[in-house]
Amino acid sequence: MFRVLNPEGYPPAVSASGMASALDTVEGKKLFLVDVGFANSDNFMAQLNGWFEEHRPAIRTEVVRWRNQHIPDPELCERIKAEGDAAIIGVGT
Amino acid sequence: MGVHLNVFAQLVRNTVKSRGMPSARQVFVPTPLMNTPPAVLRQYVEGDDPVHSRPFMAEVFDQLTRPVPAGELRGEGWDRSTPRYVEASGEAEMHGLFQERRYTDFLPIVLPTEEHVERMLAGTSHPPDEMVGKLRPTIGMEHWHFDVEKVAVNAVMAGAAPEHFPVILALASSGDTGRQSSMSSMGNMVLVNGPIRHEIGMNSGIGAMGPYNYANSVIGRAFGLLSQNLQGGSVPGVTYAGSQGCNFSYNCITFAENEEASPWEPYHLQHGYDRDESTVTVSYIWGSVWAEYLRTYWEEKLQAMICGLEPGMGCTLVLDPIVAREFVEKGFDTKDKLALWIHEHARIPQRRYWDHVMLNLIHEEVESGVEPFASYWNAPPDELIPVFEPDRVNIVVAGGETNGHFSIFMGSPMRAKFRTNKGQKAAVSIDAWR
Repeated sequence: MFRVLNPEGYPPAVSASGMASALDTVEGKKLFLVDVGFANSDNFMAQLNGWFEEHRPAIRTEVVRWRNQHIPDPELCERIKAEGDAAIIGVGT
Repeated sequence: MGVHLNVFAQLVRNTVKSRGMPSARQVFVPTPLMNTPPAVLRQYVEGDDPVHSRPFMAEVFDQLTRPVPAGELRGEGWDRSTPRYVEASGEAEMHGLFQERRYTDFLPIVLPTEEHVERMLAGTSHPPDEMVGKLRPTIGMEHWHFDVEKVAVNAVMAGAAPEHFPVILALASSGDTGRQSSMSSMGNMVLVNGPIRHEIGMNSGIGAMGPYNYANSVIGRAFGLLSQNLQGGSVPGVTYAGSQGCNFSYNCITFAENEEASPWEPYHLQHGYDRDESTVTVSYIWGSVWAEYLRTYWEEKLQAMICGLEPGMGCTLVLDPIVAREFVEKGFDTKDKLALWIHEHARIPQRRYWDHVMLNLIHEEVESGVEPFASYWNAPPDELIPVFEPDRVNIVVAGGETNGHFSIFMGSPMRAKFRTNKGQKAAVSIDAWR
């Protein structure tokens, strides 16, 4: 048997924060459509918002934008938790 | 719920798994997104999710209401530690295994036996189990950590010698990666300053940026290998997303500044070090343009070269000593004066300055009113804006004076905002790792 040292680093421990429960229904709920700031994400979220307005007006939507495309916006996350039922975040590129 | 481009499906799966949430809600749209008109984006919404092969909006509604496994509601982890050794039936099989696991750059390597690694460790006074730092493929991904021994393993693989090890450790400690996963396919430039250049025989003269020197070659290669292995990989589609890739990544353009032939103070003195200290500086580089001598229309040409670059990235001028002396003869007796001239004279219209990349990079500063970017944002479309702020213009002297040539690279050290080690200078001490 031939043996050498492993060149890989040490991965961080997996420590999940836990996922949110599923919604019982989307009808009548408030969805935040979060533009993360990558190029054209704003236009995609505008089109997604337009689809909800045309096809599912009973679902309330609001398009918002993270201040930094690389890091979650803590103030916005708090607002979504307080005022929303779910968030659709994108577009991840 | 996350919305992603379909080309990143595997990357997304790996990321959410590493966060202990393999069932995290994700939907996908076709690629590309950038420069895609609104009518096509509407088709993305009304069409199929290309990963789940069903209508995009049906997948959105289904995932928002689909029950989540109980374990993931409360959060679950698992052990994924890496073993200290890799075993195979023989040397040939081990080389195959290293390629299969993508530990290499697909050029021949030196296998990191205990004997080789022990010899490498003699190149530093630091103990093998001392933690050196952390790396990740790009912002938003998890950091992996590593100690002195892990860096030595990768240095051996690159063919380095113990005398190179302090430079390689300094690179590993910098928080900079030589395998950045950006879709833009950036590479790196590694600049060494100070007495160690001569101690280990680095090249700053003829052919400084080419494959003509042992130390230049293996230090740059070691930086790439240690980056990919210590950060958790650099695998296309999984932990690497560069659309075209970058040939600079084989050696990370590693060279020494020609401090002796330069008419200016060396790079590390500009950044707070003494002449008798040794440093290494990593820049992120996308490409270069080339010219020779400061001829009759040098100002016009220099302006054109700078104005063709993306404003957000900074630039690095690598000047042969002949050209550096020409600039001095024209009144630029410091690097700072030349950087200021470029800031003042290389300008582009406001509308082009903000076209795509720049807006992505500093949108937060604009919204927060940070100057001068807030004023640049509010300027009329045809107003001329400096391509670079003076502190984003880096100037280095290298070359052997066979002719008056120079290159301008698009790129510079990582801005403080994006650095892994907050508050750390871009120029890292090598002496701290002797």
